[in-house]
Amino acid sequence: MKVTFPHMGNAWIVIQALFEALDVEVVVPPPTGKGTLNLGTKLAPESACLPLKINLGNYIEAAAKGADTIVITGGTGPCRFGFYGESERQILADAGYDFEVVILEPPDGSLWGLAQRIRYLAGSKNSWARIVGAVRFAYEKSVVLDQVEDLVHAARPRFGDAVAAEKLYAKARQHLIEGTSYTSLHQVPLRLAQAIRDHQAAGGSGDKEPLRVGIVGEIYTILEPFASLDVEQQLGALGVEVDRSIYLSGWVGQHVFRGLAQGYRPLRAYPRLAKPYLGHFVGGHGLETVGAAVNFARRGFDGIIQLLPLGCMPEIVAAGILPRIQADFSIPIMTLTLDEHTGRAGLQTRVEAFVDLLERRKSGRLKRGSVLSVAGK
Amino acid sequence: MKVGFPRAVYYYDYFPFWAGFFESLNLELVASPLTNRRIMESGLKKASDETCLPIKILAGHIQALKDVDALFLPRMVSTEEQTYLCPKLLGLPESIFPAVPQGMPVLTVNFNRRLGKRRLLAELEHFGASLGKSRVEVHRAFELGGEWQERFEKSRLKGLSFAESMEEFDPVVRPKRRKAEEGSQNLASATVRGKEPPAREGQGAEVTGREVTEQEVVGRGGSDRGVAEREVVGREVTERKVVGGEVTNRKVAGREAAGREPTGNTPEERKEPSLTIALVGHSYLTQETYANLNLLGRLQSQATVRLVEEVEAGRIAEGLRSQRKALFWSHARKILGAGSFFSRGDEVDGIIYLSCFGCGTDSITQDLLARVARREHKPYMVLTLDEHSGEAGLVTRLEAFLDMTERRVRRESDVSAHG
Ligand code: SF4
Ligand code: SF4
Repeated sequence: MKVTFPHMGNAWIVIQALFEALDVEVVVPPPTGKGTLNLGTKLAPESACLPLKINLGNYIEAAAKGADTIVITGGTGPCRFGFYGESERQILADAGYDFEVVILEPPDGSLWGLAQRIRYLAGSKNSWARIVGAVRFAYEKSVVLDQVEDLVHAARPRFGDAVAAEKLYAKARQHLIEGTSYTSLHQVPLRLAQAIRDHQAAGGSGDKEPLRVGIVGEIYTILEPFASLDVEQQLGALGVEVDRSIYLSGWVGQHVFRGLAQGYRPLRAYPRLAKPYLGHFVGGHGLETVGAAVNFARRGFDGIIQLLPLGCMPEIVAAGILPRIQADFSIPIMTLTLDEHTGRAGLQTRVEAFVDLLERRKSGRLKRGSVLSVAGK
Repeated sequence: MKVGFPRAVYYYDYFPFWAGFFESLNLELVASPLTNRRIMESGLKKASDETCLPIKILAGHIQALKDVDALFLPRMVSTEEQTYLCPKLLGLPESIFPAVPQGMPVLTVNFNRRLGKRRLLAELEHFGASLGKSRVEVHRAFELGGEWQERFEKSRLKGLSFAESMEEFDPVVRPKRRKAEEGSQNLASATVRGKEPPAREGQGAEVTGREVTEQEVVGRGGSDRGVAEREVVGREVTERKVVGGEVTNRKVAGREAAGREPTGNTPEERKEPSLTIALVGHSYLTQETYANLNLLGRLQSQATVRLVEEVEAGRIAEGLRSQRKALFWSHARKILGAGSFFSRGDEVDGIIYLSCFGCGTDSITQDLLARVARREHKPYMVLTLDEHSGEAGLVTRLEAFLDMTERRVRRESDVSAHG
């Protein structure tokens, strides 16, 4: 059995760590790129959402490296993601890829079912104690990973040159991949923070406080830079500090561990914040998008960007509600719709225009509360 | 108090429940007019570009409800214990507020069967209380709603048309009568019901006793070129439909009696519907005559048509058996189950999946069904509607599909006759 899984940003670091700790042979798919998406788009139904298309591409590229088993998380709806595993299995089978698909889901909402599937993957050679230990360590890794990403969000706009921040980021990621003990893990963000301070002290930083933009929207496009066409990095290069509604560990805590773990950025508070605007979950992270937008607005962010994979049902619901938050808090909100045809240049133009607007607002040339209609297309 | 209910999305499957519920509470619940050009256009203006056609149509219907005291926009989370409705319906009413006219009150309640009957009733009681109704009254209303809904669903299962089944709950919907009861009958039944359907432009055309659906009457009342063109096509289709409808009904009865469909596929019979086609998809698309350019009528004039709503639960379950994981959307389950059932048997000759741009659940369901149909060698076509769908394109694709299906049927019956 050679296990593979879909890429989602840096999640592979955590997943690889988990399986390796259990001596399960794992094939990390090659980094997602244009070719990956093309492969997936060929097989996927045209109107499927973007993450499914990229997933399929990952699997095919992993198959070429010998993978024969796919592990993916599941769910019971109401968003499409809950059916990805089965849908992907059928698509791949009909295309001649003979994968075993293991859907890591608590079928009855209990952790027991989840544990059993992990047990199946881990095989009898692993004791329960070892499995639990491996899961805990992997989870810790995801929390640290989120800290690293957050530090990088802060460093990018404050560094004069974009390359320096990416270099530090790559280095921290490498340390994280190599970290095999809790102590070494916890060293990673400390060392990164120190490196950032050193760089700044050496005069490598701009002097003005950066603009702050909150990223909300569909989890996959938030976490996977390829899907968002590196929107975080683009914003960083434009001198904007970003924060996100969801980080990996928060998602794992809620989605996989059913709220038993809370992760780096807990999602718990979002439904309450969203309440005046949306009183019910709508699948995916539609409710979290609304709640996080309120949160960012309250915290005085300069703007909000929603990432919406074309056709994404929960995010379309949220997109119908965000204009009210924009009006109530007088905060510019822009929705970026993403699919396989989204061009980097077009996206960049829109992001630049948005940042420009935020800058003018901040410098007072545009009065707060003046008419804003940057949401939508 | 007069409460308005938009004739869109959940109307087509769940209106009888709410009609009974409100009736029992002594509140008047009226549905918006049948979709017309104006409704469609105002919907396109108010709904977000990104969303699907039915939600855009919903936005139009919300604006068309003018002379009511409030709008009723329930949040229908689930109607069965194991499933959900689409996330976009879970996001109602908040996500459609931009379409609600200024100052129009919105009534809403969560309808969620997943939580069990007790909690569902508690929600409804809470809602009832806001309308000044007691617990007992709400319970009674829930019962009546349930009865009406069951009656509607049973009627659909028996093979009665949507209009025939909905008529008693919504006076605006009026089925086309069969030849025998044409004319006076048609008018009589309107009076018997006691409630006059809301007056509408073009009403005059209807009294001729001709077999014209309300939909086309409304279209005729419109004012510009596009509508005139539609009228011509509409009338032609209607006339053909009369014949088709007749035969359809007879055929259904015949099959029920004999348990088997007559197999006459000689070229002379070409004009008679010799094919049986399953039209699957969301009811709010298959029955939305305006948006689907009268696809159902067109199809019925050329073939016997089977619909998802006519398939019993047992057969749906049977159809779903080949899926390893259960779909969690009510509608998608029914569509896939019925579609798989149709794929396997030889009752239908081909399957048309009517979908629309921007439908998230269909992107999964239509692909799953395509795979089943391919395995079963059943002709299968997906028609995707959008707000710009033109007659010409639709007709061409439909004709091509029917021709192809018919050729296949003939070839297969030749083979079996000689081999
Ligand atoms: S959240 Fe949106 S993009 Fe993600 S699986 Fe669900 S529908 Fe698709
Ligand atoms: S099921 Fe499809 S058509 Fe219906 S509301 Fe959802 S996305 Fe729209």
